[in-house]
Amino acid sequence: MPPATAPIAPRRPPAAPAPPPRRAKLLSGLGSWSDRRAELTLGALACAVLVLIGLMVVFVFSKAWPSFWHNGFAWFGGGGDVDRQLDNIYNGPSRPSEYVYKLHAWPLLYGTALTTIAGVVIGLVTALLAAVFIVEFAPSPIRRLLEPVVRLLAAVPSVVYGLIGLLVIIPFVNNHLIGEGRKESVAYVVQLNGSGLIVAIVILSIMITPIMISIIVDALRSVPQGWTEGAAALGVNRWRAMWTISVRSVRPAIVAAAVLATARALGEAIMLSMVSGSRGFAPNPLDGLTFLFEPVRPLAATIVDHSEGLSVTPFAQTLYAFAAVLLVSSILLSLGGWAAKRPLARWSAR
Amino acid sequence: MDEVTSTAHRAAAVPPPVRRIVLDDQPTVVTPGANGNGNGNGTRTPAVRFAASDTAARERMRVEELTIAYAGRVAVRDVTLPVRQGEVLSLIGPSGCGKTTLLRSLNRLTELTPTATRGGRIALDGQDVDELDVTLLRRRVAMVFQQPNPFPMSIFDNVAYGLREQGTKRPGKRDLAPRVEEALRRAGLWDEVADDLGRPALRLSGGQQQRLCIARALAVEPEVLLLDEPCSALDPRSTQTIEDLIVRLRAEVAVVIVTHNLQQAFRVADHVAFMYLGELVEYGPAADVFGNPRARRTREYVSGSFG
Repeated sequence: MPPATAPIAPRRPPAAPAPPPRRAKLLSGLGSWSDRRAELTLGALACAVLVLIGLMVVFVFSKAWPSFWHNGFAWFGGGGDVDRQLDNIYNGPSRPSEYVYKLHAWPLLYGTALTTIAGVVIGLVTALLAAVFIVEFAPSPIRRLLEPVVRLLAAVPSVVYGLIGLLVIIPFVNNHLIGEGRKESVAYVVQLNGSGLIVAIVILSIMITPIMISIIVDALRSVPQGWTEGAAALGVNRWRAMWTISVRSVRPAIVAAAVLATARALGEAIMLSMVSGSRGFAPNPLDGLTFLFEPVRPLAATIVDHSEGLSVTPFAQTLYAFAAVLLVSSILLSLGGWAAKRPLARWSAR
Repeated sequence: MDEVTSTAHRAAAVPPPVRRIVLDDQPTVVTPGANGNGNGNGTRTPAVRFAASDTAARERMRVEELTIAYAGRVAVRDVTLPVRQGEVLSLIGPSGCGKTTLLRSLNRLTELTPTATRGGRIALDGQDVDELDVTLLRRRVAMVFQQPNPFPMSIFDNVAYGLREQGTKRPGKRDLAPRVEEALRRAGLWDEVADDLGRPALRLSGGQQQRLCIARALAVEPEVLLLDEPCSALDPRSTQTIEDLIVRLRAEVAVVIVTHNLQQAFRVADHVAFMYLGELVEYGPAADVFGNPRARRTREYVSGSFG
């Protein structure tokens, strides 16, 4: 059977090339940009992002200023019941000269720091061990199962975690972990109902661990085989080689993972407002184990919980102050991450 | 000018020898006598015993009837070889002939490849390496790789790495410093790095990195040093330095070097083993293998008609 041959199209006269369709022209136009044009356009876009961030900081701070101005450094301090102070701001007189701003936000700041730091520390340790297991020790069927599951977990919306916490973990904690005696021991200060610090920390760390595992696994994978082989050839077992060579060389990635996870933990609002007890209370470590069951409410959760009050000017300004603190924290976090990574870069290849 | 054209004419008239690799050709194998009775393979030429003068050097390792396969594909077949202290053994052969696999099996690095299987015996000082703890074996049989692989730390920490990891108690910097210096001196790197041992090792040049890797291997005072094409990524000057080093080292450690650079094997080796398609074709003193090869394949390889 002879091969099917397409008829050869007669050569078109060069005089009248058909105009290409509009869409094709647009795309081909983009593809044929000069470097100069691409550079300028992308540069402008990047600058626009910078300007946007700058405007956002200025806007948030200008809105938040009255709250800071009226309280001074006491804003960051403790004293009184922060929930009652928020109520007073909300219910205060509506004439601008009589606005109430009095706020001692310490319990909220303390709650934010507690949940974030504890969640990130627990999550980071777990993530590091899990990543080492996945990369170096897991048999390949387990590895093939674990990796997609981890990536899936990283994508679960936080409200789902919050719901599970609310419906499963909080009742469990309330019924089985907090005895009546413990509830009575602090009944005159705060009511324990299952939601609180420990549930918030546990769910937060579960929420931020998968993304850290993913980042660290990818970094450990990219450790040159020559390094681990070289360590093995010196009579070092896999476990020691993992810690002394691989984990050591991916420290920048570990810092990056921790920064990303901390940012997520700082900004987490919905889930924490669902499971943290949502009460402006500063858990007291002196209470022993009860400390873990006492309610907290981080800044982001506070903003979410009170967003219905934004129509009241001083209240809105107070919420902006919370936002400003979060914004500064994340800026400091980025700077901290950068500072932590900088000395580590010295050891890497050029 | 005239001569050049005439040579070109002659070259055009007589075609160069065809580079032909006959895969199913029965190889003519010349192996060292494996305890007298050879491999029991009737098709092979009789094993040649070595003269007493050859065995003056002390035998440290012995490979017997070693066969290594990756996922069933045989990479090294039935190899028997001695490794002696006081001389350099060079494994030569074309790419993919199993010389690196053979080298890596000497300190059981092939076990890092999950699909690798091994038959036959490897002995270190008469003791089967499978009976030794693998970490202890690798401390006695050190290895330098084809690509320089210094760790991402300072020069000092690189050399001290093995010392720190191998001690039961981590030695302090003061105890380590003289041993690090000695290792760097033996590797011929001391003069170049002595002024700043805190420098990151990855900022050194390729030749310096490879010498650092040699220093790292020497720091733990191994008994056998395995070198896997240590100069293939290096410039001629670094190569020269490392070859001088290899020749100097052979009195203290048994050196095995894999190379497919024949000139290098000729320069450094005392004994040469020629491998082809996983089999050991010829083993003998370097002068004999290069000057008067007994097997046809060796002759063809060292004369450059394939490889």
